[in-house]
Amino acid sequence: MKKETTQEMTRNIKTKILLATIAIGMLSLGFFSKTLYDTFCRITGFGGTPVLAMNEDNLSVVLDRSVTVNFDTNVSPDLPWKFEPVQRSMEVKLGQTGLAFYTAKNMSDRPVTGVATFNVTPVKAAPWFVKTECFCFTDQTLQPGEEMTMPVLFFVDPEMDGSERHDDVRDVVLSYTFFVAEDQPEEAEAAAATVQALP
Amino acid sequence: MVAIPGADIPVVHTPADDKPGFWARWFYSTNHKDIGILYLIFGIFSGLLGGFLSFMMRMELATPGIDVFSSEHTYLVFVTMHGLIMIFFMVMPALIGGFGNYFLPIMIGAPDMAFPRMNNLSFWLLPVALICLLISFFVPGAAEGNGFGGAWVMYPPLSTTGSPGPAFDFIIIGLLAAGFSSIFGAINFITTILNMRAPGMTMHKMPLFAWAMLVTAFLLLLALPVLAAALFMLLTDRIEGGTAFFDPARGGDPQMFQHLFWFFGHPEVYIMILPAFGIVSHIVSTFSKKPIFGYLGMAYAMVAIGVVGFVVWAHHMYTVGMDVNVKAYFVLATLVIAVPTGVKVFSWLATMWGGSIRFTVPMLWAIGFIILFVVGGVTGVMLANAGVTTYLHDTYYVVAHFHYVLSMGAVFGIFAGWYYWYGKMFGHHYNGFLARLHFWLFFIGVNVIFFPQHFLGLNSMPRRYIDYPVEFEFWNMVSSWGAWITLASVAVFFVVLIEAFLMRNKRRVGNNYWGEGATTLEWTISSPPPYHQFSVLPRIDAGDSDPHEEVDEAYARREGDSA
Repeated sequence: MKKETTQEMTRNIKTKILLATIAIGMLSLGFFSKTLYDTFCRITGFGGTPVLAMNEDNLSVVLDRSVTVNFDTNVSPDLPWKFEPVQRSMEVKLGQTGLAFYTAKNMSDRPVTGVATFNVTPVKAAPWFVKTECFCFTDQTLQPGEEMTMPVLFFVDPEMDGSERHDDVRDVVLSYTFFVAEDQPEEAEAAAATVQALP
Repeated sequence: MVAIPGADIPVVHTPADDKPGFWARWFYSTNHKDIGILYLIFGIFSGLLGGFLSFMMRMELATPGIDVFSSEHTYLVFVTMHGLIMIFFMVMPALIGGFGNYFLPIMIGAPDMAFPRMNNLSFWLLPVALICLLISFFVPGAAEGNGFGGAWVMYPPLSTTGSPGPAFDFIIIGLLAAGFSSIFGAINFITTILNMRAPGMTMHKMPLFAWAMLVTAFLLLLALPVLAAALFMLLTDRIEGGTAFFDPARGGDPQMFQHLFWFFGHPEVYIMILPAFGIVSHIVSTFSKKPIFGYLGMAYAMVAIGVVGFVVWAHHMYTVGMDVNVKAYFVLATLVIAVPTGVKVFSWLATMWGGSIRFTVPMLWAIGFIILFVVGGVTGVMLANAGVTTYLHDTYYVVAHFHYVLSMGAVFGIFAGWYYWYGKMFGHHYNGFLARLHFWLFFIGVNVIFFPQHFLGLNSMPRRYIDYPVEFEFWNMVSSWGAWITLASVAVFFVVLIEAFLMRNKRRVGNNYWGEGATTLEWTISSPPPYHQFSVLPRIDAGDSDPHEEVDEAYARREGDSA
C-alpha cells in the first residue's frame, strides 16, 4: 500500500512538471510574440508592413497598368510639428519609380528630433510596395522654425500584376506618422541642462 | 456509466476524520471540500461586490445626464472593475474553484486533489489579488481621478501613458496573482483527472462535469500564461524609459496587445462557460431520469469548443483594420464553434425528450440556462460576421450578447449547481418555494435588464459612456427596472440561505436525495460527505463487463509484453 502511494506521488509530480513546462512555454511564447510577429510581418508584409528590400531586377520592367498612390500624414500630439505631403496623390505605372515629397516644419522654439513610422493600405498591396529611399529610415532633426522637404522614392513591384488577388488594387495609401524620437538633439539637452544648472 | 450503489462503498470513520480546529481547518486547509467551500464563499462575496458596481452603473444610466456619479472617470472605473471582479473573482472561483474542487475528486472517486497544498496556495492567492484590485480604487490612476478606467481589456495606450498613476499597477499585480492562482489550480485539476481516477473509471466513463473541468483546466493552462506575459509587458512599458512593446513611437505595436489579450480573452469565455455545461448536463440527466444523450458527443464537443476556441480570437478585433481575408478566416472559424455548441444544446434537448421530467429548482435553473444561452449564442452567431460587427462593434448589442452568455449562462450554471448540490454540501435542504421565487425573480430581472440592450445596440448606442441622447431613454429606463428586480432576487437568495440554515435540523437529507436519476459517485456517499471520502476506492464498471475479467486480461497482456 505504502509503495503504491509513493508510485502515485511520483506519477503526479511527473505530470505536474510536464504541465508546468507547458505553462512556462506559453509564457515564453507570449513574451517572444513580439519577435515572432515582427519577423512574420517582415517576411510576409502582413498587417501593411511595406517591404524595404530592393529588387533591382524588376526596375527595368514597366507595365501599362497604373495605380494611384495617395499620401497621408499624421503627427503625434506630443510633437510640435506641421507635417504634410506636397502632393495629395500621384499616378504611377507598375514598375515605374515615383518620387514624392513631404514637408515638415518645427513650430516650436527648440530643436526637436522626430521619427516616422509608415504603413500601406490596402494591406494586401503592402508586399509589392517598395521604397528605395525614405526619410523614415532615419531620425530627422529640425531647428526652431525650420522647414524641411523630404523625398520618398518608391515603386510598385510589377510582379503584383501576376497575382489575381491584386487585380482590384487601383488605389494605394501610403501613410506616415511622426513621433517624438527617443534621442533628442544635444543642444536641446544641453540647453535644458544649463537652465537647470542656473541658480 | 453505472456507479456501484452506496452500500458497496464503506464509509469508514477513523480518527483521521476528526476535523482540525477552526483556524487550522479554514486557513491552513488542504481538504478539497473545505477549499471548495472557501472558493464559493469568496465567489458570493465578489459577486455582491461586482453586482453593486453594476447596479450603480444601471442607476446612472436610468435617465440621461450625469446624476449618480461625481465624474465620468469614476463611472469608467466602475465599468472596469465590474468586468474584472465578475470574471476573475466571481465566475471563475465559483465554477472552477468551488464546484470543481468540491465535486471533481468525488465524481472521479479520488480521496482528494493531487496537490492539496498547492490547492491551498491557489485559493489564498485570490483574496490577495482582490485586495490589490480594491486598493486600485483608491489610488491615483489618470489625471481625471482615482482608479483605472480603461475597461477590463486594458488596451494601451490608455493603460500605459494614459493611466500613469499606481492604480493600474495594482490591477496588474492583482491579475497576475489571480492568473497564477488559476494556473496552479489548472495543473492540480489536470493531474487529478489524469492520474487519480478510481479503478475502472476510464476517460470515457468519466462524468461530464469532469470532462468539462479537464478541458477548462487545459484552456487555463494554455491561455493564462499569455495574459501574464501581456501584463508583464504592460508593466515594463509603463516604466518611464522602459520597454516599448506597445508604443508605436519607439517601434512597438499597440495592436499586438490586443492580439495577446484576446488570445487569452477568447478561451477565457469558454473557461467561464464549460464548467456550467458540465453541471447542466448532470442536472438535465438527473431530472429527466435518463442517462445523458450522446455522452461521447457531449464530451468531445467540449474538447472541440476548447480547441477551436484558441483560433478565433481576432473576432474581437474586426475594426482594427485587418485584411479582408484574415477577417474571412476568423468569421468562418467563429461560426464553426456553433456546431459543437449545437451538439450540446440538442443533446440536452434529446436527453429531456421522452424523459420523466421533474421541474425541481436546479432543473429550472438548468432549463433557464439552456434557453438564455441559446439566445446569447444566436446573437453571437450574428456578431461573428465581420460586416455586421463593423456596425455593432462596441455597442450595447455586444453588451447584451455577452451578458446573455455570461450573466445568464455562467451565473445560471452556478445557481443550478448550487441548488443541485446544496444538500450534498451542507446536509440539509432549502425551502423550495423561496428558491423558486429566487429563480423567477432572477430570470425576469436579468431578461428585463439585458433584452432591451439589444434594441439600444441596434440603434448604435455605444458602450462605456456615462451619458446618452434622450432617444435612448426609454429602453435604458426599462433596463434599470430590471436591475431592481435582480436586486430583489439577490435579497431572496440570502433569505433562502438564512431560512435553510435556521431549518437545517428539520430538513436533513440522505445520500441520494434526488432519487434514481442521480448516478454519479457523489450520490453514493453521505450528505455532507465524510471529511475524507473513499478510504477504500470505489470500483467503476460499465454495467456490461466483469471487472475481474478485465483485470485478468490486463495481467495476461502484461505477461505477453514481457515474454
